[in-house]
Amino acid sequence: MSFDKAGGASRDVWSQRIERIARDQDRTAFAEIFNHFAPRVKAFMRRNGASESQAEDIAQEAMLAVWRKASLYNPSASGAATWIFTIARNQRIDAIRREQRGGGAVRVDDVEAEYEVDDAPLADLRMATAQSEARLREALTVLPGEQLKVIEMSFFQEKAHSEIAETLRIPLGTVKSRVRLAMKRLRAILESEHDDD
Amino acid sequence: MTIEHHPDESMLAAYAAGVIDLGQRIALATHLHVCARCRDFVRAMERAGGVFLEDAEPRPMSADALGRTLARLDEPPPPPSPAAAEAPDAPIELPAFVRRYAFGPWRFVAPRVRMRPIRLPEPGPTRVFLLKSAPNTALLEHAHTALEMTCVLSGAFRHDGGRYGPGDFDLGDDTVRHRPTVEDGEDCVSLVAMQGDLRWKGVWGRLAQPFIRL
Ligand SMILES: [Zn+2]
Ligand SMILES: [Zn+2]
Repeated sequence: MSFDKAGGASRDVWSQRIERIARDQDRTAFAEIFNHFAPRVKAFMRRNGASESQAEDIAQEAMLAVWRKASLYNPSASGAATWIFTIARNQRIDAIRREQRGGGAVRVDDVEAEYEVDDAPLADLRMATAQSEARLREALTVLPGEQLKVIEMSFFQEKAHSEIAETLRIPLGTVKSRVRLAMKRLRAILESEHDDD
Repeated sequence: MTIEHHPDESMLAAYAAGVIDLGQRIALATHLHVCARCRDFVRAMERAGGVFLEDAEPRPMSADALGRTLARLDEPPPPPSPAAAEAPDAPIELPAFVRRYAFGPWRFVAPRVRMRPIRLPEPGPTRVFLLKSAPNTALLEHAHTALEMTCVLSGAFRHDGGRYGPGDFDLGDDTVRHRPTVEDGEDCVSLVAMQGDLRWKGVWGRLAQPFIRL
């Protein structure tokens, strides 16, 4: 697990390509993003239980959404991979809901957008502002790779703790304590940053 | 508003990963709507999602996938979500997207206690409703057969776990048995996302059981 890949210079390249889509409807930039991220979204969805064709569909829809939403992308709020992750996640939720016949469902994107909009009035309540991408990256870097692995498996791949224990060949108790530790630690880091504000 | 009680980190992580059902998503979103601290945690988890995505072993797309997607770029985007009108009398403390769901009528639950269902557009394991209790109401002692998420919108209640005021998030699970009491002053209105059933304790609770269906 490496943060530099997503967090270093290469991240800026992807952000710039999204901005080129927004500014110039640049199809070359789009194709580059597609070639890099679509197979990763597909892999991510497969691990998350989607079938081959569902995963392929979600990946294509997510890329189409990247094209359409490029002008909403704010590189100082989130890195390209994070932004594309949230788009793919929302596509997946909406796809599942469509299958459940949710005609009148409020699209997930509309829910998320509300947080952005509502951050302004919340400032009146003297609540801390949202963490910048750079600070979040720093916070995550502090977590050991083994803790991130169990977070990925238990939440992003929805594996049972017992299954994680078996896959990683560690005791069940270790899985549980790693998840708990990672969560508490991340919360503590984010809190301490708030105190500095 | 000082929020004292927050959702467990693992719930926020599940929210960020997108792996919880709509009812629970609504309860968490109602808390996130007013809690910058938990929003930050969700954003940190989304960033973790970005890292996991970047690190995923690529799985080849079908040969014509890029071509087909490029061909769709000029299609008009889908119209925005059907803009259902917000229920005019829905509590303003709810996020706007929740106010756009269909609200049922207020219904009698027990003396001084009313509930109002929020009708979700798709079937799911979680029921969502508003619960309104008059000041000083002591709810019957009860336990839960599954998860029950409560987010206080206005007023306040207390139980063994402390005081729960506006924005506070309470979780009942199959290990919790409690007897909330509404504070003096104003009605307490909460959004509740409930799976399973309540089990009422004590002779009065058992007598009331057949009449109380949340
Ligand atoms: Zn919170
Ligand atoms: Zn309860």
